[in-house]
Amino acid sequence: MSRNITRRHVLAAGAALGATAFAAPHVSAQGAKKATKVHDFETYADVAKAEQEGGLVFYCHENEAGTAAIMEGFGKDFPKIKTSYVRAQTGALYNKILSERSAGRFDVDVLQLSDVAPAVDFEKRGGYELYSGPYMDAYKKDYLSAKPGAYFWTGVTFAGLAYNKNKVTGADIPKTYKDINNPRFRNKISCKISASGVQYVQWYLLRQMYGDDFWKEFAKQRPRAFDSRVQLYDRLAKGDDDMTALAEYSAYILYKSRGAEVEFVAPPEGLVATPLIVGAVNKAPHPEAAKLFVDWAMSPRGQKYYQDHPNLYYGSVTNDPPPMPTGQKLSAYKLIFPTDWDDYGKQREVFNKEWNAMLGL
Amino acid sequence: MRISRTLLSPPALAGALVAIVAGLLVLYPVFYLLQAALNVGDPEARPPTEFGLDNFAGLLNYPQIIINTLTVSVAATVMALVFGFLMAWILTRTNVPGRRFFEQAMVVPYYLTPLLGALAWSLLGTPESGFLNQVYRALGGSGYLININSAYGIAWVMALFEGSVAFVMIGAVMKSMDPALEEASQVMGASRWRTMLRVTLPLVLPGVLGAAIFVFAEMLGSFAAALVLGLPDRYYVVTTAIYQLTQQYPPKIPLAAAMGTSLFVVMFVTLFIYRRIITAGSYVTITGKAFRPRVNDVGRLKYLLLAACVFYLLCSVVLPLLTLLYASIQNISTAFPAASNFTLAHFRTAFTMNAATTALGNSLWLGFWTATLGVTLMGLISWIIYRSKLPGSSIIEYIVMFPQSVPRLIFAFGMMWAWLIFPIPIYGTLWLLLIAYLTVFLPLGVRTISGVMLQIDKSLEECAQMCGAGWGYRIRTVTVPLLWPGLVAAWLLLFVASIRELGASILLMGPHSKVITPSIVESWFASSTELTAALALIQTAVVAIAVSILLAVTRRATAHITD
Repeated sequence: MSRNITRRHVLAAGAALGATAFAAPHVSAQGAKKATKVHDFETYADVAKAEQEGGLVFYCHENEAGTAAIMEGFGKDFPKIKTSYVRAQTGALYNKILSERSAGRFDVDVLQLSDVAPAVDFEKRGGYELYSGPYMDAYKKDYLSAKPGAYFWTGVTFAGLAYNKNKVTGADIPKTYKDINNPRFRNKISCKISASGVQYVQWYLLRQMYGDDFWKEFAKQRPRAFDSRVQLYDRLAKGDDDMTALAEYSAYILYKSRGAEVEFVAPPEGLVATPLIVGAVNKAPHPEAAKLFVDWAMSPRGQKYYQDHPNLYYGSVTNDPPPMPTGQKLSAYKLIFPTDWDDYGKQREVFNKEWNAMLGL
Repeated sequence: MRISRTLLSPPALAGALVAIVAGLLVLYPVFYLLQAALNVGDPEARPPTEFGLDNFAGLLNYPQIIINTLTVSVAATVMALVFGFLMAWILTRTNVPGRRFFEQAMVVPYYLTPLLGALAWSLLGTPESGFLNQVYRALGGSGYLININSAYGIAWVMALFEGSVAFVMIGAVMKSMDPALEEASQVMGASRWRTMLRVTLPLVLPGVLGAAIFVFAEMLGSFAAALVLGLPDRYYVVTTAIYQLTQQYPPKIPLAAAMGTSLFVVMFVTLFIYRRIITAGSYVTITGKAFRPRVNDVGRLKYLLLAACVFYLLCSVVLPLLTLLYASIQNISTAFPAASNFTLAHFRTAFTMNAATTALGNSLWLGFWTATLGVTLMGLISWIIYRSKLPGSSIIEYIVMFPQSVPRLIFAFGMMWAWLIFPIPIYGTLWLLLIAYLTVFLPLGVRTISGVMLQIDKSLEECAQMCGAGWGYRIRTVTVPLLWPGLVAAWLLLFVASIRELGASILLMGPHSKVITPSIVESWFASSTELTAALALIQTAVVAIAVSILLAVTRRATAHITD
């Protein structure tokens, strides 16, 4: 998997960077190629060749409906490209792709993960195809891979708190993250399992804010943990739990539209957020289709799709994002991310151990 | 000279070939699984670079999970066997009204799947939002009536839906039993209960024990019910623990592999005891003497037995289906209906999802071929184990039981690693799932067929041999017709088991080989209970139609052969 870096590679990379610096904005770093306009977005991919390849295989952490929606959106724009996907939780998905590649199988074109740590690891293993599309400038450096062109943040999911309006009233209504440790919610509060990327971010950030004891106190609440945001809101809507400590905004929109008696709380500390990371992988069976997908997903067209689809609702982190379905832009929300991604990656094992033990595993 | 002729005879060659296939199916992935369990170096290095027992030692950190697993498995097995034996006895040995109907209806809980049962009972019996508990509180009660999320709640649901497997396995044995033995007991003055306990039960012991082993192993590896019902109460069993360990990043696959393979020790001991019991006695009830299955007139008792049948089907079929139907037409499922909460949107969504179209088609295709190829393969394996004189034939039984004793979720990792590097490119295709199903269902098929085979007197085959019939002719004209009820039962069980398979499919599905049950679980995880209910009902309806057609066809074939 690891690639030897030779002098030739370094020179080639230097030449490519030079070309990017001096070229017009719509000229590819890949080979001084002009961008093609398709629908209302631009791409350096060879669209005719991508259609000739005829397929796109997508590995995605997203739930079935969300993954299918992404493929449906791209497939509608490019009906000659037959899309297919495999979805699994990030850990299982990442293990699957590593196992396949170690056995010399390269069936995947594009990978989407919900956690920065495996994406960084995959980048270090040289798993991504380095492709810099026409929309690289539309993203801040923070939202791109360290090596330009490996991956980008196609959106973010963010979470605060939520409660059942019939069960929680008056002074009991939570306002800050500290309220998740209110004894009134003992045995009546939920969170996500350790496989969740956003749960890890919440643990990491609140531990930095309030120290280790914060989560030790939370363990005394005997929280119940679930896989998905939908399960958390499902239980909240039915009154099985009074409150959820990790309420993703996207699921809140969904449940409000179904008439659930739930309310979202944006704590003053900020809404914990985690990115969805998309990148084309190397040795892909459909390389041009993979590039085309990356450009589609990076473009305003793809970003709007990711942000507006009811099974996705992921906020766009482009420099000038369209408003979300609620009418507000993502910038209206105070999002908090880890600032040191290296440290974030290193704490994962600690989180897994503590979180699993807290849940009785 | 004689030895070499024996070893080169058609049965020996066929037996050796089947043994090799079974060995390849099971031992090849097991090798990778053990390799992973012993991997103490970089968990992602393949092949591992360092080996040790640390992962097994690490299991000592999870005593509560082992206790939980054994508690649920033992409780569920006992309940399932009681349900299965009683129902088999009632429906094959007594003149309870509606016998034919109940006999067919008893298969239904099996293809409703524990997943569907767990979803339905979760809607019915969750302490706060469970429909039964809501009605109870509305009638003036306080707290809750039942807690389906407790250990015994989980065991109850597992037993309800695995009880029908026990019924099919024990029922096949009972059907093959000469009723003259029971009649003789009653002529000698024994009561019906005494006859059932002292004659019927001992004679069907191989079937009961076979069912017990199969059901116990199934409970050890059970995933769906523990996932849906256990997690809300923080109740983890081995499979749900493995699920979490393999889903998180970085996944703890070596530890999960050690957890999964350690269950084989439990299974090995159970199977060893089974073989000791079986080899210690004779269970032959089918001899050269002709008989037809007959039922006993149990008088007024038949109404009590009828009530037992109705109660079982009410809890395992009617109530769950009605609950899911009701939930599937609500925006958010609640116990009390409201016009504003009514919707058909979930069915509209379900029919537009791949899960209801492509995945269901793939599942039916896999079900048909798994059952058809499986019955042939597993029938031959049963014959090798219990009829052939091949050296090491008893070891094959331990080998074929391995996939049952390891949770499929973890066994699938072994299969993935094994078939990824296989020179024929089947990875990611439906063919891989077919191989996977044939592997993981070996115990189911072998147990079902063996239970009946043990009742057939060897002398019938020997007699045909003495008359000059070759091996193939003997199998075709003597063994297969006598085994027919067991083969039909095995075919149906394999067909349904394939369609409801979850653990192995989750990992082995490729982008073009999706199947239905993982899609339903996925929907439960990430869509909604209501949409999941709609999907589960669609799956059930399609399977019910398929099984009805197959039953009609096989009944005709059975009539032809038994005549």
